[in-house]
Amino acid sequence: MSNWRHMMPTTEAYLLDKVLYELHHKPDDLAAYNQDKTAYLARYKLTPEMAHKIASNDVAALYEAGVNPYLLRAHCIGVRIPEDVSLAALRSLMKEGDDKWLN
Amino acid sequence: MAELTGIYTASHTPVMLNFPDRIPSDLRNEIFGAYEAMGRDFESGKPDALVVLSNDHLHNFFLNNFPALCIGVGEQYESPIEHWLKAKRRIFAGDQAFGAYLLQEALQAEFDPSFSMEMVLDHGALTPLELAGLDPDLPIVPILFNCVQPPMPTMRRCYNFGKFLGRAIRNYKGVERVAILATGGISHDIATPRMGMVNRDFDSRLLELMEAGDHDAVIQYATDFVHTAGNGAEEIRMWMAAMGAADGLPFQRTYYRAVNDWYTGIGIGRFEQSAGASAGGRHAG
Repeated sequence: MSNWRHMMPTTEAYLLDKVLYELHHKPDDLAAYNQDKTAYLARYKLTPEMAHKIASNDVAALYEAGVNPYLLRAHCIGVRIPEDVSLAALRSLMKEGDDKWLN
Repeated sequence: MAELTGIYTASHTPVMLNFPDRIPSDLRNEIFGAYEAMGRDFESGKPDALVVLSNDHLHNFFLNNFPALCIGVGEQYESPIEHWLKAKRRIFAGDQAFGAYLLQEALQAEFDPSFSMEMVLDHGALTPLELAGLDPDLPIVPILFNCVQPPMPTMRRCYNFGKFLGRAIRNYKGVERVAILATGGISHDIATPRMGMVNRDFDSRLLELMEAGDHDAVIQYATDFVHTAGNGAEEIRMWMAAMGAADGLPFQRTYYRAVNDWYTGIGIGRFEQSAGASAGGRHAG
């Protein structure tokens, strides 16, 4: 597997990235998000599918959408998705051969 | 003319601070001990300033404007920026004049770094400094490489920038003794299906090549195989820069262990003055 989903981010990835970035850097955003996820996410130009990926903590779908891995990782820690849950979601995407260099 | 008192490479990961208990205490103590040993070695060179080569993990920079290379020219740097990082907040003194010198010299040398007069440093710079127990008042110049969002500068570009940096530091008259700390790597995956599966073979080959001192072979290997070692391994760009700055000094690993439960190949090393060549060098004074 490649280290990256995309060698140039897509616009979808960018828009998701923007939410994950602002959520953890603007002073009041995390509290606003925790209070009302739907209202918070409505501030952004997201499709309902994109908003759902974030609101439902769908770590696997966010990875597949190509969000920046550091933003995804920080988000998982920042909104307290249990470490083993986020790991399992990512590991579920492992395809045959992805670990071939481990042998 | 400044003397380089030591050039160090060390991995960083927020997990060390946030989830230390995910590994057995013996191993954790061994790793923390290795960082402390680096800190003692570092301090023995009595540097007046530190150039820290690291990367911003999308805190100061975002995809609306992401520099390939950024030189810090602040008076000071707060850290950490991550609200979730379990580290005590601190303020690093900045060496603004030194940063400004390096920035202007870089442009003269036809590199085109951006600059920042206000950055909040993240775990990349903070964790190794914290674990090494370095003097918090030692003035720093942070230089941040994009290793976190493709497209990114090439390994060779980072090496060449490091060569420039070593020359520029040695020609600087504003401080007498300078250390370089390059942080990041080695093999690790962040938020991918491979996360927690360290590519030990990549790390061991990279370290062997660095110790053998064939820089072209190191750069080629890093370029061709980094995709097998994880997105976090892209941070070896800072190791390439350190190797360039070392100007032929031999590299020696001082610690390595693949730590799957910290998701990271933890490597620490240094470029050393050879014994007779260090008059006034690392162990002097």
